[in-house]
Amino acid sequence: MGDTIETGAIRKVCVIGAGVMGAGIAAQVANSGTPVLLLDIVPDGATDRDAVAKGAVAKLLKTDPAPFMSKRAAKLVETGNIEDHLDRVGECDWIIEAVVERLDVKQALYTRLEELKRPGTAVSSNTSTIPLGKLVEGRGDQFRRDFLITHFFNPPRYMRLIEIVRGEATDPALAQRVEDFADRFLGKRIVPAKDTPGFIANRIGTYWLAVAINAAMDQGLTIEEADQIGGRPMGVPKTGIFGLIDLVGVDLMPLLSKSLSSTLPQGDPYFDTLRPMPLVDRMIADGYTGRKGKGGFYTFDKATRTKRALDLSNGQYRDTIKPASLPRAADKDLAALVSAPGKVGAYAWEILGKVLPYAAMLVGEAADDVVAIDDAMKLGYNWKFGPFELIDKLGAGALAKRLADEGRPVPPILATAGDRPFYRIEGGRRQYLDASGEYRDVVRAQGVLLLEDVKRAGEPVMRNGSAALWDVGDGVATLEFTGKMNALDEDVARLIVQAIPVVKARFKALVVYNEGTNFSVGANLGLAMFAVNIAAWSEIDKLVSAGQQAFKALKYAPFPVVGAPAGMALGGGCEILLHADAIQAHAETYMGLVECGVGLVPGWGGNGEMLDRLVKSPAMPKGPMPAVAKAFELISTAQVSKSAAQAKEMSFLRPADGITMNRDRLLADAKQKALAMVDGYTAPEKPVFRLPGESARVGIAGAVADYRKKGIATPYDEVVSGRLANVLTGGDTDIVDPVTEDQLLVLERKAFMASVKDARTQARVEHMLDTGKPLRN
Amino acid sequence: MQVYNAPLRDMRFVLHELFADDQFDAGNSAAFAEFTPDLYDAVLEEAARMSQEVLLPLNASGDLEGCTLENGVVRTPSGFREAYRLFREGGWAALASDPQWGGQGLPETVNKLVEEMTCSTNLSFGLYPGLTHGATTALESHGSEDLKQAYMPKMVSGEWAGTMCLTESHCGTDLGLLRTRADPQEDGSYRITGSKIFISAGDHDLTDNVIHLVLARLADAPKGVKGISLFLVPKFLPNDDGSVGPRNGVQVSGIEHKMGLKASATCQMSFDDAKGWIVGEPNKGLSAMFTMMNTERVSVGIQGLGVNEIAYQSAVAYARERLQGRALTGPKRPDLPADPIIVHPDVRRMLMTMRVYAEGCRAVGQWASRALDTQKHGETPELRARATDFVALMTPVVKALFTDLASEAANICVQTYGGHGYIREHGVEQFVRDARITQIYEGTNGVQALDLVGRKLAANMGRNMRPFFHAVSNLCEDMAGEGDKALAAQTAALQQAFGALQLTTATVARRAMKDGNEAGAAATDYLRMLGLVAMGYTFLKAARIATAKVAEDDGEVDFYRAKLITASFFFDRILPQATAGFLAIKSGAGSTMALAEDAF
Repeated sequence: MGDTIETGAIRKVCVIGAGVMGAGIAAQVANSGTPVLLLDIVPDGATDRDAVAKGAVAKLLKTDPAPFMSKRAAKLVETGNIEDHLDRVGECDWIIEAVVERLDVKQALYTRLEELKRPGTAVSSNTSTIPLGKLVEGRGDQFRRDFLITHFFNPPRYMRLIEIVRGEATDPALAQRVEDFADRFLGKRIVPAKDTPGFIANRIGTYWLAVAINAAMDQGLTIEEADQIGGRPMGVPKTGIFGLIDLVGVDLMPLLSKSLSSTLPQGDPYFDTLRPMPLVDRMIADGYTGRKGKGGFYTFDKATRTKRALDLSNGQYRDTIKPASLPRAADKDLAALVSAPGKVGAYAWEILGKVLPYAAMLVGEAADDVVAIDDAMKLGYNWKFGPFELIDKLGAGALAKRLADEGRPVPPILATAGDRPFYRIEGGRRQYLDASGEYRDVVRAQGVLLLEDVKRAGEPVMRNGSAALWDVGDGVATLEFTGKMNALDEDVARLIVQAIPVVKARFKALVVYNEGTNFSVGANLGLAMFAVNIAAWSEIDKLVSAGQQAFKALKYAPFPVVGAPAGMALGGGCEILLHADAIQAHAETYMGLVECGVGLVPGWGGNGEMLDRLVKSPAMPKGPMPAVAKAFELISTAQVSKSAAQAKEMSFLRPADGITMNRDRLLADAKQKALAMVDGYTAPEKPVFRLPGESARVGIAGAVADYRKKGIATPYDEVVSGRLANVLTGGDTDIVDPVTEDQLLVLERKAFMASVKDARTQARVEHMLDTGKPLRN
Repeated sequence: MQVYNAPLRDMRFVLHELFADDQFDAGNSAAFAEFTPDLYDAVLEEAARMSQEVLLPLNASGDLEGCTLENGVVRTPSGFREAYRLFREGGWAALASDPQWGGQGLPETVNKLVEEMTCSTNLSFGLYPGLTHGATTALESHGSEDLKQAYMPKMVSGEWAGTMCLTESHCGTDLGLLRTRADPQEDGSYRITGSKIFISAGDHDLTDNVIHLVLARLADAPKGVKGISLFLVPKFLPNDDGSVGPRNGVQVSGIEHKMGLKASATCQMSFDDAKGWIVGEPNKGLSAMFTMMNTERVSVGIQGLGVNEIAYQSAVAYARERLQGRALTGPKRPDLPADPIIVHPDVRRMLMTMRVYAEGCRAVGQWASRALDTQKHGETPELRARATDFVALMTPVVKALFTDLASEAANICVQTYGGHGYIREHGVEQFVRDARITQIYEGTNGVQALDLVGRKLAANMGRNMRPFFHAVSNLCEDMAGEGDKALAAQTAALQQAFGALQLTTATVARRAMKDGNEAGAAATDYLRMLGLVAMGYTFLKAARIATAKVAEDDGEVDFYRAKLITASFFFDRILPQATAGFLAIKSGAGSTMALAEDAF
């Protein structure tokens, strides 16, 4: 990870404070393969003086979603306490302070650190509100040079934002080292923030939530209506506003509010949002603190299995009421949304008409430019669009005019923009409007290569309805899936086959990569179901065959192929990766052959590739049976890795495959990996399998029957397992007979077709499409 | 001449033999346990007798005389009152209704065959009980317990008749525009005010009372189809003892002068503060109405089949006795001054076409009827769900395909008669006029095709299609697997048409997602394709059974031999239309939509 880049000298990190944030940060440091020392106080009268930090690690191991990417990572966290072990900060190259948000406590700790740490060891605070100037009061010059604020977001493994505040005295080279580490090792995108209260994301986010709650109450909306209007149409995650508060914790609201109102400058619009919230106070007092508590604005009644919602008018829970659908235009077009008649437009405008100008006001104050603000909201609050991207949807001029018409102040940057957008594409490059009214290129961090930028700058080498081939420079081509949800279909297979001679003639190597939320969750089940419903068996058979042939063509292509997944790579999405010469995976890669879950078996060569990986795995005992048994276990139970590291443990990735922590650097890393393989590249030899046949099938069937008796496997699981076992054991073969890859493909196709024609498979697929959950039939 | 002998042998074939192995097997369920095949045969024979002896003689006379409006009261043609009395007393009105309301609880499979006979022999007459049946369906599913107790028994028995009042002068297909108003009263009833047109059986002298189901709008209702409610409005308000009480504010303001179906009164109705009661929930009237509409649509298809059958028989009778010219291969009846026209290939073409239309539709209609029974009485929830999917898919097909073919058959019948068909005397031009409305009412056939392509096809990733497509696929696979040489050509023909249908289905679904006009331009051709494949499926099944029976030589060999020939004609001469449909749809909507509106 990041192995091609010189990262300075951060080889060990100390995290002080083992609360939710500190522990989570420590876990992410460990995830990068870096040893980390996690310290906290000695509890009163404790026999184990490290109990707090140890307890925090124990809790991390039980948390879902998991803070650790692998068991190995957990072992990299060493625990201790600040009374006995603080002197060990001398071993560390970066000290992250994540203790309670009290200035006196932090200052006292810094006093001790100043004596114990080596000069040039970075110290950063994870404070979310206290200005840097106050934190370093009373410290010497060296400490001030070594100090900065690194503000992580919760949960630290999954939230990609880190706001970094450099003080006036901060050593730029030291800050750069920390930023490089945070970028390449912790996978974060750095957003430089100024030393103002709440920095960027929380300042806007807290204001936004306060405005949205107040408006919902004032305008008499139900929380469902508020979440409908203030959610998806504005590009806010589908939780909406109240759902989001439930997620982060209702009790966090007054804390943030208290902290911000004690530090924000007089006259900040945030003060206008403050008002007594007896309803929220009572919720917190009664334990309704959100999903971590008894529920929040929404609760789930386990007895009746119904979702209930809080009635803002009387504080009582009631069954959720689905709001009427939004007018079509308002759902798609932000300008139509804020001008929609009735409560829809009124509520939308109340939010956007306040929050967007507030964000605009912060240019120059909290951040240097609009890009930082947009990045902060997108990565820190999961907004799909940043505030300035939203303004562009409304039109900067239109927004300014409406504000002026309503007698409200127009922030300077809006006036500067006039009728111009904040972002434009110029010569294939994305540019933003700076505070002086000039357009400047949006600059990516050094070494970052994004397909998004490549695509903006030119045309694909070739494309069809479901895939495209791009030139990403230095003789490397990238194959991108472009269909809905990056689904794999006949067009993808066709483009692969067509691309191979083109890549051979014009490029040195190929990377299979895309920038969707998920790499690919395989074939489009809905379309497959449609084909099943019209009994288009020969078409389905053709699709299976086309996929097999395309993936094998990729495997035996005369140039290196590197798969570069991020997010989910399931089913066919996993199978295509298994055919690559190497994989460079984003750390958050979730791989698995999940076909059995919907009553199918892998049909695009996944069985043979998985067997081959396992047979060749150094960890696997010799003989044909262990690999078959392991493959059967992985596939029949549809196991999915919860990280790239785990995918390696499960043998989806091979030992030499790489892991990239920062999503933005995945393509560049994959490209480097591919180029490194070019010299002397030869396509892999076709494997020949020695498979156990009938005898092993009997054993497997016995084990599955046992699971069935215990109620772990369902009756149809047993049938599907039988079909899978037939493939993995080589069908009618014997240990002495070699089984070719092509023979396995035929077996696999037969098993797939038998499954797809089975009404029980059809019921599973249909249930999955209807409910998103597996059917246990 | 109007000639009709109920095709009982073919009816028994589709009822007992053709679908013996079909998955929709509710006929064997507990609901029908007390009935035997013999009983069904007896019912069919009785229905045949009644149709032939009571209804057929009134068909031409009723057409000539028509209905009249005198002093605000509709009079049906001579003989209709008596015929209706016999019909009701024979229990025919309540044949398939729930025994809970006094019905006889027979399966739809039998009921639809009886409906076919009624419609063959007197389509106008058939409308009166048909509408009552539709109204009871909606009332049974959506009415309050009080309403049901008060109205269901009398309507099921046919003592009172029913109507459905949807259309207004400015809105037919687009019911969202309707204006009739309903005002709630303190006693829980409503006052209904407004005008309706095209109300079949809106008033008549067959029953003591007419119960209208009326679509109207509440004052605070949302605009469009989501603001329509359904109300029950009787012509006479019943007394507490169930007898007919005071006259309600419902008047016939006129009857329509129509192309055909003249013995059925099509009324303009005016509701003036008429007292009514809501059926189902406020603003949910359209879905309540569609409960009725869906069963009615299948029945309208059966009406088409009825006309098709009598047109066929009437044409055959004439072709046998009309002497003109000589056979192309030399005289067939030298003893006569000329050969009967049945010797001519083109006349044969006409007769065979009508024949395969009737037999194919009867078989497909029977398949749909089995699903109607199974969606109610099927053994497992899964089976009931599959039957419901199948009914959803086949309803527009049965309605539009059967009525389009019926119109075609009626016209072919006239063609067989030549000039004698065009004059009134022989009574066959009535078939053309009567059949024509079946393509229009209960949703025009264009609307049926849109329903199929727009709603039934795409819903739930095509789930509605599964029972049909899998059945055809399995039959083709079975037949190909059996290696039956005798039917190899037919099997191949069905496979080819089915393949074209599968391909077209995928194409239409894909194009429709991008461009609604593509779906709209393909709809009618698509429905015909699917209908042809459905008929092909039943003919191949029939041929398989017939082949075995002919080999057994069990005494009814003539019937099965004829069936084999009819099936061959279908595969040779009719099914190729599916290929034409495939090519037409493949060309897309371009030339259909290209001409500028002002260039028309």
